[in-house]
Amino acid sequence: MKRYLYRRAGASFITLVLASMVVFAGVRALPGNMAVALSGENGSAAAIAAITKEYGLDKPIVVQYFDWVKQLLSGNLGISPQTGQSVVSEIAQRLPVTIELTLLSIAFGIVVGIPTGIYAALRRGKAADYASNSIAIFGLSIPSFWFGILLILLFSVRSHILPSSGFVSFFSNPLGNLKDMVMPVVVLGSGVAAILMRQMRSGMLETLRSDYVRTARAKGLPERVVIGKHALRNSVTAVVTIIGLQFGVLLSGVAVTEQVFLLPGIGQLTIDSVFQRDYPTLQALALLIAFSYIVINFLVDVAYSYLNPRVRLVGASK
Amino acid sequence: MTDISVAPPKVRRQRRRLGVFMKRKVAVAGGLGIVLIFLLAIFAPVLTQYSPTATDFSHLLAPPFSSGHLFGTDQLGRDTFARLIYGTQSTLEVGVVATLFGTAVAVPIGIISGYYRGWVDSVIMRITDVILAFPFLVIAVGLAAILGPSLRNAILALGIAQIPGVIRIARAEALGLREQEFVQAAVASGASDPTILVKYLFPNMLSPLVVQASVAIPGAILGSALLSFLGVGVQPPTPAWGSMLATAQTYLYQDYWLAVLPGLAILLTTLCFNFFGDGLRDALDPSIG
Repeated sequence: MKRYLYRRAGASFITLVLASMVVFAGVRALPGNMAVALSGENGSAAAIAAITKEYGLDKPIVVQYFDWVKQLLSGNLGISPQTGQSVVSEIAQRLPVTIELTLLSIAFGIVVGIPTGIYAALRRGKAADYASNSIAIFGLSIPSFWFGILLILLFSVRSHILPSSGFVSFFSNPLGNLKDMVMPVVVLGSGVAAILMRQMRSGMLETLRSDYVRTARAKGLPERVVIGKHALRNSVTAVVTIIGLQFGVLLSGVAVTEQVFLLPGIGQLTIDSVFQRDYPTLQALALLIAFSYIVINFLVDVAYSYLNPRVRLVGASK
Repeated sequence: MTDISVAPPKVRRQRRRLGVFMKRKVAVAGGLGIVLIFLLAIFAPVLTQYSPTATDFSHLLAPPFSSGHLFGTDQLGRDTFARLIYGTQSTLEVGVVATLFGTAVAVPIGIISGYYRGWVDSVIMRITDVILAFPFLVIAVGLAAILGPSLRNAILALGIAQIPGVIRIARAEALGLREQEFVQAAVASGASDPTILVKYLFPNMLSPLVVQASVAIPGAILGSALLSFLGVGVQPPTPAWGSMLATAQTYLYQDYWLAVLPGLAILLTTLCFNFFGDGLRDALDPSIG
């Protein structure tokens, strides 16, 4: 078990380093002089000189990389030329919005997708199965931003049930916060639900065909116990990894959803910083997204190896 | 030995697959829908007399079925029907080219990774992990920042995003196939590595690759709509459904059809591809029920 975790941690660390090199190289591939780019559109000569010195742009590239990593580790990701604030505090302000949106959407996906998937598997080949599969395909096909616009049209423009946009913090106004979140969470969560439903269905079907389920049934266990205790536990493990992999996909969805509902989160910041040519922020965001993806998938692997002992045994025998 | 089958096994298998596929009416409908969308893209100039980029300031935001405009006009007086029809061109281009590009790059890498295993495999797997760590939006945004937003860069970003998934599929197939007897026999009879990879491994992994591509195309179409919605994809004045939606958001209160129609176009297109792909998977891959 320990060996498996060390191996996974090692692989994740290498990926982290490679990802940081990609971002480092990406920032240096920006058009024009990087010092000019980082100081913003109208950076003064003094600002450009200061940035050249600060980033050591006159030094060899390898030295630059290590200096850059040192800066990262000390939490210095630069100043946004757009707001004059430090990039770290800019991101810290917006992070809670995105985390709330993401977690609620995943929760929505789990609550809707997993029971539907189980139900579809149990009703395999019947009308309920086809119906839920068709709805899932519908959920995968609908553009999230359009779905969002339709919801705004129905619930905000036509009937004023929900606010069309805006955001209040949960701590200052819990009810208002949840009201702001309903439509974004439905938009983002329905895609997650569709994927989880399909995954859960095929996982469940595979488990139901396995020998131990047949044994359990042959023993005369009630169907409730066969499904609930034996089959379910083994099908859920596969879905756990899907949730981890979905994180990357979800993040792209977060950006659009935040854009449609004007939520001040990380996704909106990413899009804004492209148009404002706010490169320090963009660099920090690319790093943050890549790092959190890698860390989350490492944690998912760890959780998975606890849930499924076969994984760690395979890892250890190699 | 009397031969009871009329057709050789390969033909029989193809017939069975076609049979499974035809039974799924939604899948067939999806396939026909795809043909129709391609026809719309090809015959766009015949189907509408309006140019998708010509502005008409005497008919701004005309409602549907008014003043000779089937679906009305937008805030610059451009014909919405024409923009929707011409929008199929960039939509299909992004979906198909990005998928071809991603598949063409990833399949050889995946086959090599699975066939040779060892350190080659480890290196390739780490690289796919790195690509996976950047969602396609981040890749697209990065490319837009470095190279400027354009159709070509949207295709590039959506293609790159497909690479890790396709590598994994090709690798998993190659890992399984290399242990099979017909491959072992080829190795024993002295076939060169390129021959084995191209003639023995590749043709036998076509089914899962086709299934993957049929899911990847609608994914890329949605992705490109998303990019043009955010302004980092297809650039105006080229008509794209995503950017039509983005501008429509401003006029949501009075002219909602501007937002409803392009979204419906995206939805119908991805639905056709997804239903078609779903049927294709049932026909080609009997292991998935």
